[in-house]
Order: sequence, then structure tokens, then C-alpha cells
Amino acid sequence: MTLVVFYLLAAVTLLGAMGVVVTRNVVYAALALLLSLMGVAGIYLLLFAEFLALVQVLIYGGAITVVILFAIMLTRLREYKGVMENPQWPLGLLAATALFLVLVAAFLVDSPRMNVEERLAVPFLLLGGSLFSQWAIAFEVASLVLLVALIGAIIVARGEDSRERP
Amino acid sequence: MPGMEWAWLIPALSFIAFALIVAFGRWLPGRGAFIAVLAIGAGFVLFWPVMVDLVRTGLPGEPGQYGFSWTWFPVGDTRLTWGMIVDPLSVLMLGIVTLVALGVQVYSLEYMRGEPRYGWYFAAHALFAASMLTLVLADNFILLYIVWELVGLCSYLLIGFWFERRSAAEAAKKAFVTTRIGDVGLLVGILLLFKVTGTFQMSAIFAEAAKLAAGEPSLLSSGTATAAAILIFVGAMGKSAQFPLHVWLPDAMEGPSPVSALIHAATMVVAGVFLVARAFPLFDAAPTAVLIVAVVGLITAVLAATMALVVTDLKRILAYSTVTDLGLMMLSLGAFGVTAAMFHLLAHAFAKAMLFLGAGSVMHGMHEPGDVDIRKAGGLWRRMPLTALTFGIGALALAGVPPLSGFFSKDEIFGALWSHRPAVFVLLFLVVAFLKAVYLSRAWLAVFSGPLKRENEHVHESPLAMTLPLLVMGALTLVLGFLAIGWTADYQGFGTFVFFHEAEAFHFNLGLAAVSVVVAVGGLAVAWATYVTGRISAASVQRRVAPLHRLVASKYYMDDLYQWVINKLVLAFSGLVAWFDRVVVNDGGVNGTAESVRSSGLRLRYHVSGKMYNYALGMALGAVAVILLWWLVAPV
Amino acid sequence: MSLLHFQVLSAALFAIGVYGVLARRSAVLILLSIELVLNAVNVNLVAFAAFLDPTRGLGQVIAVFVITVAAAEVGLALAIILQLYRKRASVDVDKIDLLKW
Repeated sequence: MTLVVFYLLAAVTLLGAMGVVVTRNVVYAALALLLSLMGVAGIYLLLFAEFLALVQVLIYGGAITVVILFAIMLTRLREYKGVMENPQWPLGLLAATALFLVLVAAFLVDSPRMNVEERLAVPFLLLGGSLFSQWAIAFEVASLVLLVALIGAIIVARGEDSRERP
Repeated sequence: MPGMEWAWLIPALSFIAFALIVAFGRWLPGRGAFIAVLAIGAGFVLFWPVMVDLVRTGLPGEPGQYGFSWTWFPVGDTRLTWGMIVDPLSVLMLGIVTLVALGVQVYSLEYMRGEPRYGWYFAAHALFAASMLTLVLADNFILLYIVWELVGLCSYLLIGFWFERRSAAEAAKKAFVTTRIGDVGLLVGILLLFKVTGTFQMSAIFAEAAKLAAGEPSLLSSGTATAAAILIFVGAMGKSAQFPLHVWLPDAMEGPSPVSALIHAATMVVAGVFLVARAFPLFDAAPTAVLIVAVVGLITAVLAATMALVVTDLKRILAYSTVTDLGLMMLSLGAFGVTAAMFHLLAHAFAKAMLFLGAGSVMHGMHEPGDVDIRKAGGLWRRMPLTALTFGIGALALAGVPPLSGFFSKDEIFGALWSHRPAVFVLLFLVVAFLKAVYLSRAWLAVFSGPLKRENEHVHESPLAMTLPLLVMGALTLVLGFLAIGWTADYQGFGTFVFFHEAEAFHFNLGLAAVSVVVAVGGLAVAWATYVTGRISAASVQRRVAPLHRLVASKYYMDDLYQWVINKLVLAFSGLVAWFDRVVVNDGGVNGTAESVRSSGLRLRYHVSGKMYNYALGMALGAVAVILLWWLVAPV
Repeated sequence: MSLLHFQVLSAALFAIGVYGVLARRSAVLILLSIELVLNAVNVNLVAFAAFLDPTRGLGQVIAVFVITVAAAEVGLALAIILQLYRKRASVDVDKIDLLKW
């Protein structure tokens, strides 16, 4: 039963991902991304990572997609009507396929050692506890990175001559 | 009823005062100076319940202790903590620091009136008080080191408070650099202890040291303990102006007089003494280190006492006198006399702070901004009787005249030396005691007695805000000495409060006391004969021992030696380093690399398209290539 | 259902994302593809945490950091794209070749 659910979720994820990379409409691409990311959230649930699933829905589904849609609106749609692929796309396809094959080969080679059927939940408390004690400094640095990035984003987006622009 | 668990509030208040003055001082009446005074005053009020609680839970026998610590942040397996320890040693220091700082700040309200940066002065004072109070409460070496450096920073800021004056800026720099040399030793010592014991917590380290001293298996080896103790003592030498790092303290007198009183007489400079006393369990396990402490203290005391005889600036006499007393405290610690050292610290803090405030009062009265040359003063007691009185009490106390506080503390040091160190230490100690009596009475006699000079007719007594702290400290100096004596069955002298290993009752040794009184009175008599009756001519003595006088007057050529070392060795070495940097690192390494990159870039740039996705493709194919190569080299 | 299932899914998602990065022309779409790549990595991390390391859950911790960095990256990248659009009236990476000699 869970296998069926897994295949369903995987299909949703991969179809969404394909949608992102082939569609000609940028807005559709953003929505396909949303679909794919929600699929990933489902996969997290299958892996008992409820917290991450929640974060996935909130941050990707809520915040990031909205920001991207805003950016698309602000950069005007009509420009994207032409050819969407750059000249090197066949090479890109080749490289991506090669990467996929190499990765799967690596997993297959390792799989006898990692052939674990049983999956267990990581307790909520454990995750929070280790984030705030063992990894407290990394956590603080991450929040600092976020802060700096946001300030940087504001400054970059504002531009140096914002007063002159209408 | 607040008790020992409130002790953390005492430094916290001053930290808050510092932040408030810096942030809002310019909009407050009096530039916010009153906030600093209120904070330290509240600290002093809070000191009492803390002490009462400590005594009630402790005495008699082992005094009570209270400590807490909480994790600041973890680094791997190590946890850095904030923590405080409330024990007799730290409570004693709390009392000294809060009371002297309170007196000095009240005094400064008047003394610094009309200064530009008036608010900043009090902000720095508050920051200093806060750091110093945290220093005495710290329960781990990292916290101690942080505030240790903060204290040094405040000292730098306050010595250089009149930084428009070149000499003040230079003195501040000298003080900072000289104490930094000691601080490096302290830091290395702390890290060495951490490496061996894996903790910064003092109690844990001292437990190991106690095991070592008792001959049980311990993480510390005897060599490590000695090395760490000596390194920590190097830090103490810098802060407490011990030979050969004493050179900064006399120059530090460029700061305002209240700063000298608070930082360079009563509190900061005794931080080194406090540190050695705090770390005494470690020293106890390293007898060699204790001997070094004693020798360094003795050398410092002798050199400073002789130098104090020949300088003519009032504040510099007091500065060398401070160095002498710091040397005596170290000497006492070096004779296992923790009780004696801490008692001398207590007596000295109030007496010396009062002397410096008195010197400031004289300068205020004479309208001398810089320093008072004692040859220009004279007969001032007619104009400023209160200052003369309190200055006299302080001088007599430090000269060791009974029953003032300095007599008892000197006596305890004498006793400790008598029972733990050979005769040569005792002999030189008596010489120092004699010289102290001579130069302190010389200072008082030259400034306050004799005929009033005509150019000093305008001199006037200082206002109440300045004389009040003087009087309070004078009264304390009169009575503090009796703390040394046992009054009740529970209180057998100062040794029942502050001690190492086991409580000591007060032992009054009539023979030793008689010797020290004779020495002190002898010193006073010599000064009287020289500077009042003229029976002994200072000039002829000076002629007779001319080479010696030249040696002392030029401060044993220490400053010149340092200057020579800096000029010849340091600058030569810097020149070598600079050459290496310029020629090898810069021309060869940096520019060479850059040049080769540039020239190869000039040839290679034509393959670059500038298209982002080309580069990304290269990355992706490169990743595949790396993985394939990995399998080729390391078969699975 | 074993660890391998999740790993292959993650590899596929990763490869699709890489293709998007390599083949697309619009900077916004390249950004979306990068999100796919990051999510592929996260799927792998969480799967490892659940199958191999449930007592410590390090994979989930790192996944949290990846999401944080991804959020920072989206914000900054979109700001750059907006600014680029203002300066050159285009987000076509074909037309942005300032790195060329």
C-alpha cells in the first residue's frame, strides 16, 4: 500500500519537475514547481519527517512560490513567448542523463551495504534539541546568513538610484 | 531579603548604567553622570546583604559559598559558561570596589565639572566598575579573561582621557601595550590549563591542583602546574605593575586624579594580586612558582621604594608608592600569606585612594592641571586643612604607624615572611618599610608643612563633594585595622574570613610589631630631620651617593632599556619581516602569482563565451567526470 | 519499499533540475530548476536520516539548513534578476554575457 502511495507521489514530483523544465509559459512553470514540491512534502511524510513536510509546505508552497510569481509579474510575461531553450540544450540533456546514470549506478553499487528495509521516525524532540544545543552555532550562523541575504536582497532590488526612478 | 544569589546584580547595574549613559547621556541632566553614581551606589547597598548572607551561612570555620553557572554556548564537546562564585575573597573585593568607586565617582562629579566628554568619563567609569566587579565574581577563566581585557581597555580609555595632550596619549598606549604583554602570558596559561584539564571552570582546575598537591593522581603534572602558575603570574605582573612590567604605572598618572585613585591605586592594579590569590590552589601545587612570586614582589618593592624617594611629582611619588605596596602584596602571597596579602589589599585600597584623591584636591586647589611638583607646594595645610588631615592619615597608615590600618596589614605580612621565608627577605622587607615611611612623610611634609609660598596664596579648600569621600575614607583607614584582631569567639581576626586551606586566628607578635614600629618611626624621624629641621641635608646625601642616585633617578634605566630593545631588536626584526614581506611575499608570491595568472589569462580568454549556461554545463560534465575518475582510481 | 526507491527518485529529480539549469534561457526558470536540485538533495538527506540514522537524525538537521539557504538564495537571486531586468530590460541569459572578454 505504501509502495503505491510512494509511486503516486514520485509520479507527481517528477511530472511537476518535468513541467518546470519543458513548459513554455513561465507562470505554468512556477505552478508546476509548486506541484513538484508538494510531492516532495508527501515523500517527507512517507519518511516520517512531519516537521520537514510542514516546513516544505509553508516555505516553498507559501513563501517561495509567491515571491517567484511576483518576480515573474514584475519582469513582464510577454518576453517569454519565443524560444525557451538556449542553443546548448541537447548537450544539457546529455549531461543531465549522464549525471542521472552515474548517480543511480553509485546507489546500486552501494545498495547491498545500505539495504535497509526498515525506516524509523526521527523524534521531533531530538531534531529540535540537537538544532538548539549541538548545532546552536550553525543555527545562529544560518539565521545570520538569512538576515544578510534579505538585507542584501532589499538593497540590490532597490538599486543605487532608486529616487530617480518613477 | 536578597542574599548571595543577588550578587550578579551588582556588576549588572553598572553595565546597564554604561549602556544608558552612552545611549541617552546627552539628553539627560548632567550628561547622565548621576546614573553611574546611582548604579554603583546601589551596588554598594546590595553588597551588604550579600556579605551578611555569606557570613551567616559560613562563619565560623569554612565560610559559605554560593556559585552558579549557565551555559553560554557549546563548542563541540566543550561548554563555555557564564558563572559567578560568591565566596569571602570575591565579597571582600566587591566591598572594596563598590565603596572606592562610589567615593571616586562622587568626587569626580565635582572634580571633572566643566570637562568636555563629561558624560563619557562617567560611562567609562561605569564600564570599568562593571568589568572589575565581574572580574572578582568570575568562576571560570574565559569570563575572567574577557573582563580582564575590558578592565585594561577602560584603563586605556581613562588614562588617555585627555588624549589631546600628547603625553597622556603616549601614557595610555604604553600602559595598554605593557599590560598586553602580561595578558598574553595569562592567556597562554589559561589555554595550557584548558588543554590539560579540558575545562575553564576554576573549581574543577583547582580540584585537580589540590589532588596534585596532596600527591594523588591528577590530570595536572607538577611541571604543567608550575608553568601554568608562572604564566598566570605573568598576567598578574602586567596588571599589578610588577618588575619588569612596572614601567607603565607611573606614566599612567597622566590620567585624571580620580582615575588614578580608582584604577591605578585601589582596584585595577590589585586585580593581579586578586588573581594570584584566587588561583592560589594552583600555586600551592607549584612551590617554584610561589618562590618566583615572592622574588618578583620583593624586587618590585625595593626598586619602587627607592625610586619614590627621588621623584618630585606628587602623583608620581604616590604611583611608586603603589608599586611598592603591590610588590609587598605579591611578596606576602609568595610567603603563603593569602590572608595578609588580602588584608593589605583592603587597607591599601582605601588609604591609597584617599591619597590620590587628596593629591587631586591639591591640584584642584592650586589650579595645576597636570601634576604638582612638591618643590613648588608647601605650607598648604593652612589653606586646605581637611585635605592635609586626610592625606596625613593616609601617609601615616601606609607608613605603618599604629593603630592605623596599614600597621596591622604590614604586621601580618611581616609575620608571614618570618615563618615562611629566609632572613634576607625579612631584612629587605624592613628596608622597604623604612623607605616607605621616609618617602610618604616627605610627600606630606613638602606639600603641607612649612611656610606658605606667595604664589600659593590663592589656594583654597575643595568643595564638599570632594572632601566628603576623603573624610569617609580617612575614617575607614583609622578603624579598618581593627578588623585584623579577633573580637568574638566566632571572629578570630581577618583570617577567619579570608584564608587558604584553614582559618587562621590573628596572632599578635609583640617582637615583630615592635621592630616594625621602630622602623616606621625611624623613617618618620629621618624625614623630619631632613625636610623640617634640616639636620640631614638631602643635597649632601645625594652628592655622597651620586652614582646610586643617578641610577635611581633614571628609573634604573628600565625605560631606556625597553627603548633600546624596541629600537635595536624589535625594529631590526620588523625590518627583516618587512623586507621578507615586500620582496618574497609581495613581489614573488602575490605579484608573481597575479602576473602569471594575468599572462595566462591573456592567452586563454578567447575561449570564454560569457554565457552562464556554458559554464554550468562544464560544471555538470566535470562532476560526472570526477565520479567516473573516482571509480577508475578506487575500484569499488 | 527500500532506501533505493528514494535514492532513484532523488537522482531523477536532481537530473531534471540540472537539465533545467543547463537548457533554459530565462533566469527565472533557471532559478526554479535550482530549487528542484536542492529538493532532490533534501529527499536524499531525509531518506538517509530515516533509514540509516534515526537515532541522531542528522539528515533532517542538514535539510533544515538547506531549506534556509534555499530561501536566502531565492530572495537574493530574485533581487538580482529584478535589478538586471531594470538595467537591461531582459532576463534572457543569452543576452547577459558581461563575463566575456
